[in-house]
This record gives sequence, C-alpha cells and structure tokens, in this order.
Amino acid sequence: MKDRDEVTRRNFLKTAASFAAVAALPQVAGTSDSAQAASNDAVRYGFIGTGTQGCTLLRFLATIPEGRCLATCDIYPPNVQKGVEAIGAKPDTYDDYRRLLDRKDVDAVLIATPLYLHARMTMDALDAGKHVFIEKSMFFKEAEAEQIRQAVAVHPKQVLQVGLHRRSGVLFQIAIEMVRKGALGKILLVQSRVTTNSTWRRPVADAKFERLINWRMYREYSGGLMAEMGSHFIDIANWVYEAEPVSVIGTGGIDYWKDGRETQDNVQAIFDYPDGRRHTFNSMLFNGHHANGVVIMGDQGTLELKDDRGIYFREPVAKISTGAAKENWWAGATVSKAAMQKGIPIFPEREAKDSGFVDRELGYARRWLASMGIYQPEEPYDPYWGELVNFFASIREGKPVIAPLEVGTADAMAVINANRAIDTGQKVSWPKKVA
Amino acid sequence: MRVALTRYEAFHQAMGTEFTLVTYGEDAQYLTAVGREIFEEIDRLEAQMSKYNPKSELSVINRSAARRSVCVEPKLFELLAHAVHYSQSTEGAFDATAGPLMKAWGFFRGKGRVPRNSEIAKVLRRVGYRHLHLNRVDRTIRFDVHGLELDLGAIGKGYAVDRAVDILRYYGITRALVSSGTSSLYALGAPPGARGWSIRLRNPYSMQRAADVICLRNCSLSTSGNYEKFFKVGAKTYAHILDPTSGKPVENMLAAIVLAPHACDADALSTAFYVQGVARSREYLATSRNLIALFYLPQGSGRKFRRVILRSGSTNSTGAVLARIAKRKANAAGVRTRRSGGGTFSRAISR
Repeated sequence: MKDRDEVTRRNFLKTAASFAAVAALPQVAGTSDSAQAASNDAVRYGFIGTGTQGCTLLRFLATIPEGRCLATCDIYPPNVQKGVEAIGAKPDTYDDYRRLLDRKDVDAVLIATPLYLHARMTMDALDAGKHVFIEKSMFFKEAEAEQIRQAVAVHPKQVLQVGLHRRSGVLFQIAIEMVRKGALGKILLVQSRVTTNSTWRRPVADAKFERLINWRMYREYSGGLMAEMGSHFIDIANWVYEAEPVSVIGTGGIDYWKDGRETQDNVQAIFDYPDGRRHTFNSMLFNGHHANGVVIMGDQGTLELKDDRGIYFREPVAKISTGAAKENWWAGATVSKAAMQKGIPIFPEREAKDSGFVDRELGYARRWLASMGIYQPEEPYDPYWGELVNFFASIREGKPVIAPLEVGTADAMAVINANRAIDTGQKVSWPKKVA
Repeated sequence: MRVALTRYEAFHQAMGTEFTLVTYGEDAQYLTAVGREIFEEIDRLEAQMSKYNPKSELSVINRSAARRSVCVEPKLFELLAHAVHYSQSTEGAFDATAGPLMKAWGFFRGKGRVPRNSEIAKVLRRVGYRHLHLNRVDRTIRFDVHGLELDLGAIGKGYAVDRAVDILRYYGITRALVSSGTSSLYALGAPPGARGWSIRLRNPYSMQRAADVICLRNCSLSTSGNYEKFFKVGAKTYAHILDPTSGKPVENMLAAIVLAPHACDADALSTAFYVQGVARSREYLATSRNLIALFYLPQGSGRKFRRVILRSGSTNSTGAVLARIAKRKANAAGVRTRRSGGGTFSRAISR
C-alpha cells in the first residue's frame, strides 16, 4: 500500500507541476494517420474488445500520437467495424485475440472485454510479452488475483495498468490532495452512488447473440452493478482512506427489471475500513436523479464530487484552547458569505458565471485554494484521455503507472466480497493482514 | 490555585455572512454547548426574518400585509417597532422598506445594474416606512400600499448579535465577542489580562489594513461601508447603500461606524448616518445618548480619506466602557470633531 501511495502522490505532483506541459501537448491531433506520422517511436498496440467501452477508449486513442493502433479484435462482427471507425485508421482486425497476441510488432494491448475474460486475457498478453491496459474490474474470481500477481511477477518489465480512469482525472487528484492536506479533517465517511434510469439491456438483432451482447446481465460473465459501477467508487474510497476495506455488508435484488436478467438492478453496500471509517455505495437502474457522485465527509469539511465538478464545504469547527489568546478582530462592512454557503468550487472559473461581488467572493475562494497549492482553473483534459496518455508514458518513459496491479487487485477484491455479501446476506471479512 | 481559562472560538454561516463567537470560561464543554445555543438561535432568527425564504414570517408579512392585518410574533414585533422608530427619528435615512430599491439596482442577485430614473420613481412609490402601520394593541402590521416589502438587512444582524449577548449573559459568560460578518459586533467584558477587545476598523481602501484600532468593552460597534458590495459602470462605482428618499446610492461616504449599547441600534444607525452624512448625523447626536459615530470620508482623489468623530450630547458614564482609538496610518487627515483629548473617549457607553 505504501508504495502505491508514493506512486500516486508523485504522479499528482507531476500532473500539477506539468500542467502547462500537458496542456501544450497536441490535444487533438486530428486523424491517427497524422498522429502516427508525428511519432516514429509510438507504442504499437492492439485493442481487444471494441464494444461500447472499447470504442470510447479508441476515440480518445485516435487523438494520442504516442500510440499507434496496429490491430483490433472482437468476436462480434458489427463491433469490429465500429472499432475501426472509432480509431479512424486501418488496423488489422481479428476475431481471436490470441492471433493478435502472436504478432511480434505489437508492443501493448488494451483490453475492454466482458469481465469474465479479463484475467485470462491479461495473463495471456503478459505471457506474450505485451504491456497491458486492462479495463476495470481487473478480475472476476478471487483466485485470479494470485494468478495475475504471479504473471506480473514473471514479467516485471511489462506495464500493467487498470482502467480506473478517475485516478487520472485532475478533479479527483485535487480532491485527494485536499484530503491529504487536511482540508476535510478526520474523514470517517465516504458516500458514493451510481444511479441511472436505464434497463442496461442493449438491443440484440439475433437472439443467439443475447448473452454475448448483454453479458452484463448474466452472472456467468458479470459482477453486475458492483463490478461495472461500484468498482470506480470502491477505488476512490480506497484512495481516500489509503487502505482496503476490512469487511462489507450488502443487499440488493432484481426488483424492478424482471426481464430474465440474473444480475441485480439495485445494490447497496457498506464497507468498513480500519479505525471506524466507512464507505457506503448504492447503485440502481430505476432512477437516475443523482447520477454519479461521491461525497467525502470529514470533521472539518465535505467534498462533493461529480464527474465534472467538485464543491468543498467547510464544517464550522470550534477551536478550543487554554489561556488568553491575542484577540485582534476586524470591524467593517458585512463580509459576504452568500456564495460560500453554496460551497467553494474546486474549479472556480467553471462555476463563476455570475458577476459582481459573488465573483469577488469566488476570487477569494480561488486564492484560498491556491494558498494550499491546489488551484486549477478547470479540468484540463478528460480522465480517459489522461489514463491512456499515462499508459503510453509508462511504457515509453518508465513513468509510474497511475492505477497499477495493487490498486486494481484491491478494487476487484472488494467488488467480489461485496457481491458475496449481497448474495449470502452475511458480513464478509477480509483475511487479517499479517503484520 | 487559579485554573487557566478555556478559550472557545467558533464560526457559523447565517444571514448571508459568517458569525464569529469567542468566549472564555472554565469548561470547554459548557462553552461549546452555549455556542450551540447561540447559533441555533441565530438560525431561528434567520428562518424567521429572511426575505429569501418564502416561508419565513417576514415573507408571509410581505405577501399578506397589504391585503389584511397580519399578527406578528412578539419579539419580531418589537424589532419592527424599533425599526419604525429609527425610520422616524432619522427621517427615513434608515428605512426597512427599501428592499425594492435594492432589487431595482440588482443588489439582490449579486450583480448590479443602473435603473432608469423613471424606474426609480416607480419603485419609490412603494417604498417608505410611512406606509407601514403597527398596531400595538393586537400586535399586527399592515401596509397601506401594495408592493411594500420589509427588509431587515440593515438591522437584523445587529439584532441577532444582541440576542446572542442575551444568551451569553443568561449562561453567566462574562468574556465574549460576537461578530456578524464584522459589520456588527459586541464586546462582552474583556479577554483575560486585557482592558477590552481589540478591534481593527477596516481601512475603506484596503482589506488588510486597519484605519483605526479600538479597544471595546461592554459595547457594540456596527459599520456601514461602501467597499464590500458594489459594482462599476465605466469609471463610476455604485455602492449598495441606497438613500431611501432619492432611491440612489449614497455618494461621498466611505464608511459610517457607530458605537452603541445595543448592536441593533448601532446597526440601524450606522446605515442611517451613512445615508445622512456628517452634518445631519451631528444634529441627531445632539439630542441622543450613549452614542459615538465615526465617519471615513473621501478626500481628494486617490486612496485618501479623512476621519470625523462625533459623540452624542449625553454620554452616560458607568465606568464600564473603554473605547480608545489609536491612530494608525497617517494617510488619513485625522480631522476630529468634538473629541476629548488624549485619543481616549473619556465617557462611557453602557448597556
């Protein structure tokens, strides 16, 4: 755990310090052809699994000249076509990922396949000598944790990065800096949620593809909401607490979408961390009001984070001391705190839509954030873009991996244990750590 | 053996600003509990008096009193009577019905605009304390014009400070400072080992600099200043304190500061004096008691100001109060009026 924190902390400092440098990178290089021309030592990669998430990543990859897509792979023909369109180049296409791994000119693979395939493909890719970017959750079954660990140990020079993209988001990095610098005081609760008003069901033209396309709804392949949604915020809580949970209780069910699916349409879990710290997570598919979000609550402040905005609220904390203090107080016209009651935005410029004295107040907020060294005018890039740039930088320049094996393992284990708690109705405890 | 006193300091956001409370006592838990009581009371007052909250008693009055008499909670009625008294005695320089003017100038939404004269004239028809009728017998209020709006912004924070002091006294606290966003504060007793609470009066041109430093004990102090809420159009600056008779921002005044036994009085009068200016305030003070007023007035171009200090005709001495102005910066011309020698107010103001 210690090393991981060092890694992430260093990364943040670099991100913050090199903000100007990052911004100076060609953010959108047009087509990948021009991008490839721009960089002869680009990482040559293959992409496995060009479904919805795969194509999301491919569209970002198309703007990153540090990588060059040589091949894509999907077993579902329409996805193959979509993947080629997303990357905007002419990669070789495969329907068997092992053929892609056989190619000696491919340095790295990115994997965005159904969860049950993650571990197998990751290990095969490592064995084939490839650097690996694996979407979250990193693995499906508990035993796979050790198998992947061993595979990584055998190939220590290959990069393994897990697709927990919020780790690459400046908003979340600032949030963690605020946590580390004590802006929230003693943190005892993280509340997170992913709610959506959606069936999760994708249309299937031919019934024989039902389980292939709608794999998220079948337990043979999927960890359900906890894996697909929960894993993101389980990782945030682990990051905040710099620890793994010690136990979890949970509940959930198929209570709304009774359409033959096997994974729950609503889940709730409470993770206990050492020293009485907790993380509550809930997710549902019948109400999308809250969407994505996490609230980090300490005895000195609250941080409300959504994907594109973060608001800090100060707790009114009384200071108790002994003896007389130097009493020097100010008198003057009423100091406005109207905007402060709505919280201090992490990206003040994004929020400063008003003018006049509300603006001035946000100016003070900005100075206050800057005084702690955590001022950012706005999110400089998409976290997906950031994680992919980071992956290539780790391969090319040996930069620390932003979401490495340990992070992915802790995250995937918590998903598995939470699902076990929900399925059994029992509290699930992590094995005691040997000191 | 003498036990060292415990110091408690807390902040609380309410009424669009931040209240500060410092108390000294023997028991941290007790001080914390008293602090909680005070902030709960301030929240209750805000819920009752807020013009932004549609379910507040004040909002109910504003919606209904033009159509029918509205029965008012006893304490709020007292405060309204107090407000009317100050409106009458300052001939409308303080006026709790000026809200629609503030709206016309855009000060409610945090950004300003300059309304046309015709618009101001129209708004002025529904502004004025004379349209407000209080009936002490059945404790009701009635407006005789539609669109009248009560706004306690220029007295409510001072009133809240007074209620906080009541609670402090009730619980036997003898050393405390209560401040509502620096604009109204009350110094109860003195910190251990000091003669009073040291209060820096903000330089009207600079947030970080003090124009004067006052040592305050058992006394309240309120400030009305042009430097927190204002907007600019071209080279002209419009500050948020409006003259309720002209409907326009007051000019040629940087700040008016009033020391009084009660914060509620200091609050209302600092606004009134800011609007009235020095000459009319002097007339007012000649016939009143236990008040000290301090004005910062613009002088020439640039960031210079001059200072005028006035005292009420009769200032009772109970020996409890100490108000001493230590001159700070020499950029103020330091014009002083009716001021006793040695930089010390020899007379006391007491609650």
